[in-house]
Amino acid sequence: MIIMKNEERKNENETSEKNNKELPFEIDRRSVYKCVQCGTCRSVCPVFDAVGWESANTRGRMLIIKSLLEGRPPSEDVLPSLASCTTCGICSAKCPAGANPPEVVEAARAQLVKCGVTTEAQENLKSAVITYGNSFGETKDRKHWLSETERSKLPKKSEYVYFVGCFDSYRYPEFAKKTFGILQRFGVTLLPDEQCCASPLLRTGFKEDAEKVMKHNLDQIKKVGAHTIITSCAGCYTTLKNNYPEELRVISLPEFLAEHLEELNLKKLDFTVTYHDPCHLGRHNKVYDAPRKVIQAICTLKEMKNIKENARCCGGGGGVRIGYPDISLELARNRLQDVPEGVDYIVTSCPLCVRNLRDAGGNIEVIDIVELVAMAIE
Amino acid sequence: MDITTELRKIVGNRLSVSPSELYCYSSDASQVKGMPDYVVRPKSTEEVSRIVRLAYENEIPVTARGAGTGLAGGAVPVGGGIVLDMSGMNRILEIDIDNIQVVVEPGVIQDALNDALKPYGFFFPPNPGSSAMCTLGGMIAYNASGMRCVKYGTTRNYVRDLEVVLADGTVIHTGSKMLKSAAGYDLTQLIIGSEGTLGIVTKASLKIVPLPKTRKLVIASFENAEIAGQAVVKTFSNGVIPSACEILDRVSLQVLKRYDPNLVLPSEGDVLLFEVDGTESSAREAAEQIMKVCAPIAISISLAESEKEMADIWAARKLVGAAVSRLDPTKSRIYVGEDVGVPIKQIPELLKRVQEIAEKFDLPAMKYGHIGDGNLHLALFIDVLNKDEWDRLNKAADLVHRTAIELGGTVSSEHGVGAARAEYMKAQWGPALEVMRAIKKTLDPKGILNPGKLGL
Repeated sequence: MIIMKNEERKNENETSEKNNKELPFEIDRRSVYKCVQCGTCRSVCPVFDAVGWESANTRGRMLIIKSLLEGRPPSEDVLPSLASCTTCGICSAKCPAGANPPEVVEAARAQLVKCGVTTEAQENLKSAVITYGNSFGETKDRKHWLSETERSKLPKKSEYVYFVGCFDSYRYPEFAKKTFGILQRFGVTLLPDEQCCASPLLRTGFKEDAEKVMKHNLDQIKKVGAHTIITSCAGCYTTLKNNYPEELRVISLPEFLAEHLEELNLKKLDFTVTYHDPCHLGRHNKVYDAPRKVIQAICTLKEMKNIKENARCCGGGGGVRIGYPDISLELARNRLQDVPEGVDYIVTSCPLCVRNLRDAGGNIEVIDIVELVAMAIE
Repeated sequence: MDITTELRKIVGNRLSVSPSELYCYSSDASQVKGMPDYVVRPKSTEEVSRIVRLAYENEIPVTARGAGTGLAGGAVPVGGGIVLDMSGMNRILEIDIDNIQVVVEPGVIQDALNDALKPYGFFFPPNPGSSAMCTLGGMIAYNASGMRCVKYGTTRNYVRDLEVVLADGTVIHTGSKMLKSAAGYDLTQLIIGSEGTLGIVTKASLKIVPLPKTRKLVIASFENAEIAGQAVVKTFSNGVIPSACEILDRVSLQVLKRYDPNLVLPSEGDVLLFEVDGTESSAREAAEQIMKVCAPIAISISLAESEKEMADIWAARKLVGAAVSRLDPTKSRIYVGEDVGVPIKQIPELLKRVQEIAEKFDLPAMKYGHIGDGNLHLALFIDVLNKDEWDRLNKAADLVHRTAIELGGTVSSEHGVGAARAEYMKAQWGPALEVMRAIKKTLDPKGILNPGKLGL
């Protein structure tokens, strides 16, 4: 694990403090001063648990943001703290004062971007999304997982669209295939030219760039005439639901599956699984019951040690995996400790969680909920 | 000598001088501020000893810190220097059920210790509201306690032995695993509550007690806080010692209901929570007696017996202090004047005077606390962006502290003095403060250990 090498950065910081652009750091003060520094977040912040320094804890982040509001010049020195929050939101769920730190951290990241204070990883991510329309900088067609014939047969108009997301398009095309295979039965189509949902930009502070990408996707949605977007990525889900215009109806794949259980005609499978709640599906949007309903329609569910509102983050979100991979994977390893004995699979419903939990190297296979459903259909 | 290089030789990359990191260690949960020059996270007694010796030789202040949940600035380095973040020394070294004690490092979290003890049927009773994150080292340094103090006492009652690093780096033990000792001064008791001004605790042997078979909770509401205070006095004088006895005034009730609308709490009046524990029959008998004593002056009385109902009420109660902004998002609770205590008989008078003070300065107030041991947690809340409200707040807090002393009480019952209440030490202790100063001078002649605290 990399402990933030704070001291090594000191000289570098002194220089950047002098050089930073003289732009004001503005943020809703009340949202920051809501934090009364009680330290309750110390007991839950997963990054703090892995790193140990106060700056890696929510309270530390709120303090650093306070210091910037009170006139400390923004410099790269703040990045190991502010860029290492996964925005998992467990601090908000536990905060007695009702503060919403992930929102404050994202607002602060946007201000830092405005002041020209960013990490290299952040810049690379932005450039990939802006240049290639996906967070990996992939150049191949986003629908490469469909044959040319399949692509040509896609309905041009539909009320329902499957928003595939960068992860399923480029890292887990088998998830995309399985998901679309199911959704096609219900007349769902794809966007002609889907781009990244803008989550990576929003989470890491590039608000203006995010607006452009979101506008592109919205135009595409209008073109298709869809009123409902279905997505299987928790990151895409929370972004489409909470950052896109309100009139858009957004549902997650587990919600869609739960609504159509009878039509899916699933067979029972004789094994036991556990379920990891993705933060951006669970805590941020309270989708707890739908995935459980789907799982229980297929096999036995044995819950993890911390679930739903108390579920620990896998470390995959908030730009932490790309910026601080060692911390990110330590979070995933910590999460695997919550897995109960005697389960055959760890099921989740977010490709970022799948990747992180798989990369953490446990001995129980991690699968997406769509894979479980596909097993029950086959 | 380059202190950074020397510290690095001792702790490697567990040293930080990054401005952002230092800023994070410049405050705790109080309003006290002070910027450190170095933060180190030691892992062993030997490292602490070497750091303190280095500081001693170079006359650099050293401030120990646990989870930084303190409410008096005790862990804030008001004189700069080195902050020792002890939270990484968090191993439970021994659970010795035969001797009914545990040996812990100071960074162990209170709840983590109790989670580890539960399978054995034992617990460590002092339970501050911050038990989910506060460290045992901090609890020892501030003689912390909590809701069950009324029956089980404070941290002071549970420490058998301490390993302490003195100002020059010498390591001593203050006791042993023995239940009692008649040999010499009780240095254990001297170190407890000394707020890191006499030495740094690096290990502790703590007494543990069996978990009670059952707990029950009597919830009674009264027309006003003064009458509730009278009910407490009457309960004690009738020979019942509850395991917890808490007051929640009507504002606190509103806050709690906003925090968790499903809580089973009365909808009107000021409320007392009496917890009793023991065997099924002894707890029932005590609960019934409390209900009988309170009946003539209460508006309503009920009994909670389900584990979940009680656990929910206690969990919410623990967080009430910080939850006030649920009532009005523009207001924040500021921890000043929040920990006064008076003899139990003076509680009704304290409640009356405190209310008058809040009204005089036109500040919304929430009154809650461990009324069973005379400890009132007054929560004054303000708009932190309003300077005038800050001024009125500080004046009100000053008056609250002076009122407690006047009633024969203390400016701090369990949170400590730190820097926040240092100015009242003379008024509370008179010439006894000089004795404390003499002890400090003997044990820390260069004044490097947590300077600026305790009014020393």
